[in-house]
Amino acid sequence: MNNVTLEDIPLITLVGPPNSGKTTLFNYLSGKNYKTVNYPGATVEYSVSRIQKKFNLDANILDSPGIVSLVPNSPDEKVSIEALYSHPRLGIPDIVIVTADASQLSRHLLLVKQLIESKFTVIVALTMTDLLQRKGYDISEEYLSKKLNCNVVKINGRTGNGIDELIRATEIELSKNKANKNTEPVMFNSSISLNELLSVYKEIEDIERAVVFEINGHSCEPNLLGANKKLNELSKQLNNIPKNKIDQTTLKIDKILLHKYWGLISFFIIMALTFTSIFWFAQPLMNLVDQFFGFLSTETISLIGDNWLGNFIANGVIGGTGAVLIFVPQIAILFLILGILEDTGYLARGAMLIDQPLSKIGLNGRSFVPMLSGFACAIPAIMATRTIPNKRERLLTIFIIPLLSCSARLPVYALLLAFLFPMDRSWIAGLVLAGIYIFSIVSSTVVASVINKFSSKILKEEDNSSFILELPTYRIPKLKVVATNTYHSSMTYVKKAGTVILMLSVVIWFLTYFPNYNPKVETNNLTKEKAEQLISSERLSNSYAADLGKFIQPVMRPIGLDWRVGVSLIPTFAAREVFVSSLALIFRATGDNGALQTSILKEMRQAQITGTNQKLFTTATIIGLIIYFIFALQCISTLAISRKETGSWRIPIMQLVLFTSMAYVFAFLAVNGLRMLGIS
Amino acid sequence: MKTAAELKFGERGVINSIDGSHPSSRRILEVGFTPGQEIELLSISAFNDPLAFSVRGTIIAIRKNEADCIKLL
Repeated sequence: MNNVTLEDIPLITLVGPPNSGKTTLFNYLSGKNYKTVNYPGATVEYSVSRIQKKFNLDANILDSPGIVSLVPNSPDEKVSIEALYSHPRLGIPDIVIVTADASQLSRHLLLVKQLIESKFTVIVALTMTDLLQRKGYDISEEYLSKKLNCNVVKINGRTGNGIDELIRATEIELSKNKANKNTEPVMFNSSISLNELLSVYKEIEDIERAVVFEINGHSCEPNLLGANKKLNELSKQLNNIPKNKIDQTTLKIDKILLHKYWGLISFFIIMALTFTSIFWFAQPLMNLVDQFFGFLSTETISLIGDNWLGNFIANGVIGGTGAVLIFVPQIAILFLILGILEDTGYLARGAMLIDQPLSKIGLNGRSFVPMLSGFACAIPAIMATRTIPNKRERLLTIFIIPLLSCSARLPVYALLLAFLFPMDRSWIAGLVLAGIYIFSIVSSTVVASVINKFSSKILKEEDNSSFILELPTYRIPKLKVVATNTYHSSMTYVKKAGTVILMLSVVIWFLTYFPNYNPKVETNNLTKEKAEQLISSERLSNSYAADLGKFIQPVMRPIGLDWRVGVSLIPTFAAREVFVSSLALIFRATGDNGALQTSILKEMRQAQITGTNQKLFTTATIIGLIIYFIFALQCISTLAISRKETGSWRIPIMQLVLFTSMAYVFAFLAVNGLRMLGIS
Repeated sequence: MKTAAELKFGERGVINSIDGSHPSSRRILEVGFTPGQEIELLSISAFNDPLAFSVRGTIIAIRKNEADCIKLL
């Protein structure tokens, strides 16, 4: 969110039903000022921005989650309605702009009517009029304005048509407001009877019939002055308005994507492509980044020399953060694909398809989008659960989200899989990665169903379980918007690498380099390479990290690992990706073979468990580590957001204890089970 | 009386009333299922539930038990 000065300048709040073009309008008005990242699951919190300078209107604009009516049905709708009546910092809006889809006027006017009734200063922004015109109809904004007794402006949030008129109307209303500033909105009566609701609909239908007219071939812009009579005549012909036809392309696509059998098959294909492409598309880009950091690190050493400073920059700074930045391409591709899926309108279909199986295990079709964004990051995913009306289903969704493999785990899996499957067989790694994702889905659903069955203590709430969701018209994704969001999400990751991960890397570097940074070893009869190896292993075994490791060693041995991996696991509770950079630092990969990752892998292959000839990283221990990472909840931010969204520490603490102990037990079983089967 | 849940794939019907005792009835009305509207059953999920109906120019997916409170003429 921006640091806008909030005093004294007017506040314009944007509201509208879902899929009415609200966020498109917000993006257009706020332009580059808008920096909040939209994860799949769309707006769940409000975002505030200053209106772009070019519009010459000094005001703040607030975007909030879509609402159908002023009676909230889920936590995200509550956020919107509360923002309307009492925004904690911004107060009551001076103007409320409501977006309404002109091709679905009879549905979208319900909210408009309720807002006017509650005495807000309302301006209606009519969207999708081009869609209506394609169907052969048009709408008279003047007449609608008279009927509703508020301003109505036709806009197009994509091309910007009508935005200037919208701004002008806003300015006029603002100056009117200044003259008599005592228009307090009244609370909407949420207990109005269904019959009253129906009579509002009657009014709306009358309005719709009166303002929508057929475009006759000759004059597209009928003379509106004094056209009342003509319009009334026209409206008689439009009793069963054929403009309510649904987009034919959407119907055709749904014949396949929502087909009884093909629908499910396409669902699995789409999901499988999503997850495998993360690995495949990213590989060439990752190799480039990898080479770059390897080169940088080698050059630094040869420039500054092999002293503590050169080591600090080459290993602590470049090696540490570089090991994490290598994975930017994968993360960007994940966000890109999720963004495209969201923008086409498919996600709502996916939610419908798996509502039934999810409701069997105590979840909801609406859990689908939060769960899917859980593969990007658990934090926006947990926030996106606000769209689930039923509290019990929402809490259960929050509970299992940390089990879905988030993008911070990708670097870890990628490194470990690269260890198991060398470059020439990287396509297998792609398949196994897809397997890991499937495994994380399966394990999260098993956990959900077990908790749903046995523990009414964890989730005390009981509520009406419901699934009512609009399936939007399919659209070609607005690549610019998707690309911008992908860029911001990736930059968040890069910034994290530049701050938290850099900091932790430096700490780990320090712990592994000091106090015995210049150990005395007999190097007379050794080659230069051998001598360096001896020095660094001597340095490490007398380091602070080794002291720390002595405590961890007993915990690590049962899962086939030693203190060095244990020390790498400690900082993962702040950020999972640090595991990769910690390994790089502890095993002293300097990138002298060109690429950074290659040299980490080389060092890992040579590593032996301290004091034995036994290899540290074997097929069994690597699989054990992967399993550990699938289950362990090692993310402080996730715990914090879980606390915030569930309202107490009960659920986050249960998540931490349950998932981390599951991780350890399953890793233990996997390593020792594999060994018994003869796979070391 | 026939309900929306009993429509066959591709079949149309006109809404007569909404059963107000169902906890979801308000939301069903709010999304546009009101007496007099013609609806069509457009898709059935692979697991037979939910159902997707056309109403007022859009497609709304609702569960079977919720479609059951939409009574048809």
